Amino acid sequence: MEEPTGPALVVRGLRKTYGAGGSGDVAVRALRGVDLTVGRGEFVALMGPSGCGKSTLLHLLAGLDGADEGSVELAGTRTDDLGAAALARLRRRHVGLVFQFFHLIEHMSALENVALAALVAGERPAQAGERARDLLDTLGLLDRAGELPGALSGGQRQRVAIARALANRPTVLLADEPTGALDSDGQAEVLGLFGRLHSAGQTILMVTHAPEVADAAQRVVRMRDGRVVDHGHAIGDTAGAAS
Amino acid sequence: MSAAWAVARAELRTRWRSLLVLGLVLGLGGGAALGAVALAQRTATAYPRLVEAVHLDDARVVVPDDQPGLTAAVSGMPGVAQAWTTDGWVAQVEGPVLRYVSIGAGVDQPSGLVDPVVVAGRLPAPDDPGELLLGEPFAEASGLGVGDRVVLRLLTLEEISQFAVGFGEPDGARAEMVVVGIGRMPYWGGALSNTLAGPAFVRAYAADASIHPTYLRLDGTPGAEQAFSAAFTAAAAQEPPSIVGQYLPARVELPRADVDPAVATAERVLTTGLGVVAVVLAGGVLLVVGQGLLRHHESARAAQRVESALGLTTGSRIGARTLAALPAAAVAGLCGGAVALAAGRLEALGSQARFEPTPGFLAPWGVALGGAALLTVLFLLLGAAAAAVAGRPRRSRPAVPGGGARRWLPRRPAVRVGIALRGGRVRRGVAGTLAVLGAAAVIAGVVAGATFGAGLQRLVDTPARYGQHADISLIDAREDDVAALVADPRVAALDVMTSAEAVTAAGEGFKAVALDHRLGNMPVETPAGRPPQRAGEIAVGPRLAERLGVVVGDVVEVAAPGGATVPLTVTGVVVVLSEDTGEISALGEVALVTPDQLVAVTAGEPLVGAYLQARPGQAGPLFDELSRDLEVFLAETPAEIRNLADIVALPELLALGLALVGAAGLVHAVVTGVRRTAPSLAALAVLGATPRQVCATVVVMATWIVVPALLVGVPLGLAVARLLWWEVATSTGVGGDVALPVGLLVAIGPVVLLAAVLASLWPALRVARTPPATVLRES
Repeated sequence: MEEPTGPALVVRGLRKTYGAGGSGDVAVRALRGVDLTVGRGEFVALMGPSGCGKSTLLHLLAGLDGADEGSVELAGTRTDDLGAAALARLRRRHVGLVFQFFHLIEHMSALENVALAALVAGERPAQAGERARDLLDTLGLLDRAGELPGALSGGQRQRVAIARALANRPTVLLADEPTGALDSDGQAEVLGLFGRLHSAGQTILMVTHAPEVADAAQRVVRMRDGRVVDHGHAIGDTAGAAS
Repeated sequence: MSAAWAVARAELRTRWRSLLVLGLVLGLGGGAALGAVALAQRTATAYPRLVEAVHLDDARVVVPDDQPGLTAAVSGMPGVAQAWTTDGWVAQVEGPVLRYVSIGAGVDQPSGLVDPVVVAGRLPAPDDPGELLLGEPFAEASGLGVGDRVVLRLLTLEEISQFAVGFGEPDGARAEMVVVGIGRMPYWGGALSNTLAGPAFVRAYAADASIHPTYLRLDGTPGAEQAFSAAFTAAAAQEPPSIVGQYLPARVELPRADVDPAVATAERVLTTGLGVVAVVLAGGVLLVVGQGLLRHHESARAAQRVESALGLTTGSRIGARTLAALPAAAVAGLCGGAVALAAGRLEALGSQARFEPTPGFLAPWGVALGGAALLTVLFLLLGAAAAAVAGRPRRSRPAVPGGGARRWLPRRPAVRVGIALRGGRVRRGVAGTLAVLGAAAVIAGVVAGATFGAGLQRLVDTPARYGQHADISLIDAREDDVAALVADPRVAALDVMTSAEAVTAAGEGFKAVALDHRLGNMPVETPAGRPPQRAGEIAVGPRLAERLGVVVGDVVEVAAPGGATVPLTVTGVVVVLSEDTGEISALGEVALVTPDQLVAVTAGEPLVGAYLQARPGQAGPLFDELSRDLEVFLAETPAEIRNLADIVALPELLALGLALVGAAGLVHAVVTGVRRTAPSLAALAVLGATPRQVCATVVVMATWIVVPALLVGVPLGLAVARLLWWEVATSTGVGGDVALPVGLLVAIGPVVLLAAVLASLWPALRVARTPPATVLRES
């Protein structure tokens, strides 16, 4: 099979407004025309103050919500015309998501949480179980595979969440404040892991508001008031911004 | 002003509406449950209240007029504290149909002994010999009411003794009477005549009195009943035999002690049903209000954290919220008490209504006041508990070492996640084990109610099951009348039944009957074994079997005249209807033997009746013709079956109510479950599950609650119904085999699964249509 080429993500003129339903809510313009490109194999940090639209942008990139205007191209596929089911299928093939508060399924063990992602991606139960064990082994959690998330530490839970996000071998790993709920050890643990993944060729787009976290990335994109104000440039890239 | 008081004021000022609504819900729902309790109490106490209201006698005997010594001796027998000896008459009622009636009356009635409750009209005037009070069942059966006139022809004792052979026109006085009232008693018949006249009647017709009923108040000492019974039986044995001895065997009735088991059974069924309604209502209301209060206090978790940081203790925080809930708690109590009080308008249910001594509104003060206080306290306690739970720091979930790693992993993610989220193994899963147990209890209740109801309906609809095969019965059948009926082409089948009192070697009396199939073959209802076929065999009714403690294959020793005992082998359990004196004997209390055996184990002249089955369409004309000259009765439903017929719809209504509550509970469990697990469902969508897969997950969650509930509930319901029906059937005197509602049993699985799917559709669609980002943001 031919290796796909082109950028992992291309965003053009993305706009999103919340709370304009006419019921007296004050409309919040979360995104005001965002343009962004993330190349394959890039590790990009999306940085900005709280409320600048980082998480909204991430949700729109993953197809978890719909934009009001603009387009998103994920692994060469335009997502703005797709329905919920098609978006879900695209997500299961190309996207891995990591959240600040993990969002693991509390009633399933670590192994089941990871295997579930592989099952949803279409693997058979035996293969899904094998894949989940491999990932947990890689992330040093095989001995905790049978534990419920509630029995794990924050760092361990986030590692399970990362394992789950990798279970479908995603084109792009989207991480929303992945270290926001962790102590410094947990933070270092997760950032080290992201570094290793990036070295192995994984495309990563990480949302954060912490400069020390953003420093772990190859490129830092800055947002303010719903717009990208600095596309940054990759370490070692003296030519300027990536797009 | 203390900090707690300030918190309470703030809570009350800003959040009083939701507290008030929850108070009202608890008041109305709890009031409905209290109303069911009040109704159950009124139903359960109808009989004992009537017993007290009528000053029911402890014992009563009836002595024929030709045994004056025995009548005179009764008041001096051991254990007797008070005695009222009255007079009794048997009379032929003038009219197109040959009918006999008994009349009772007495003078110098002591206060507090046998005072029927008058439910219509009034008591006969003491100085008017022409006024009658009818017993309620007799009034219903005869169609007579207040203001109706009847002419009575009194019978002499000699004429009564000639019932079996005929006596022509009655020789006693002719009495023109008017019905002035309808009376209610716990029990009519036996020594208590079903029509009562006043003292003036005694003075006018004393010469024609043929019997002397005596009503007794015993002295209450232990063994008084036994002492009196033994003395009366011994004294009766010393008397010269009466010419009407076959109709009036020396017997002591104990009206207070001998409560008809069928009455007690109907009372138990009704009160159990109402109790279940009350429990289900109370459980549902507590669940709803408890969850409402929990949500109410959880929405202010942050406030509690702030109060805690400011130094307020847990007790102060809970106390403040309890204080703020006081007005709503008072509303709950007042509202619940008022609803319970309003339930005082509801009469006792079913067959127990005919024992209600005070028809109309009866305020259930105890239930209303106690219930109001209970609801008030309950609201405060629930609120305090909810505030405590909401204010508690969240703890991490306990580990399940190794769990899950080896667990079955279905291929379909929707099935896997749906089963996991059903939450049987974790504390905060979708309804979890409690939901499954609740659903199982509802399904068991529905199956039990429907199965019990099917048994009841089958019994009421199938006269053969209570031994009713004949269309017409003829009392005191003479051989020439029987021969004429056998030759009558309108008669399809005819049995002659002879009956007499028998006594076991242990002293237990019972009625023994023998059947002679003269024409055709009317079957004998035989729930177990077979009818007797030869001498030395006996088949017993279900109640008699219970009383004697025998089963098929046992031997009953029966006392024979002359002092010997005869061993009779029990060959079966039979249900035979016997109405040899115009009243149906207690169902299931009759024993069947062969004609020769009957002669061997009973003394005196047996009573003879004929039971005939008419050809189709001939019963009415035949009855009209026969009733002009003979004492005949159309097939009548025994009192035990009438009692059950009154409540025939109750089990199925209860099952329907339970099904509705169960459906509501299922919807509630699924909706709250989906709300609780929304983040997990959103996480599933994040992984790439399509909206259809998320919908399927919710459907699996719902069906995974009802599948184990069905597996447990259906057999449990059948077992409960079997037990209940056996109990009711045995105490009623009929066969105890349960009627399976096959349609329900076939349909309940698919219907419950369909209900689960339907209950989950709306929450499933809602959760599938909500963008995962919205849920993740909120969580």
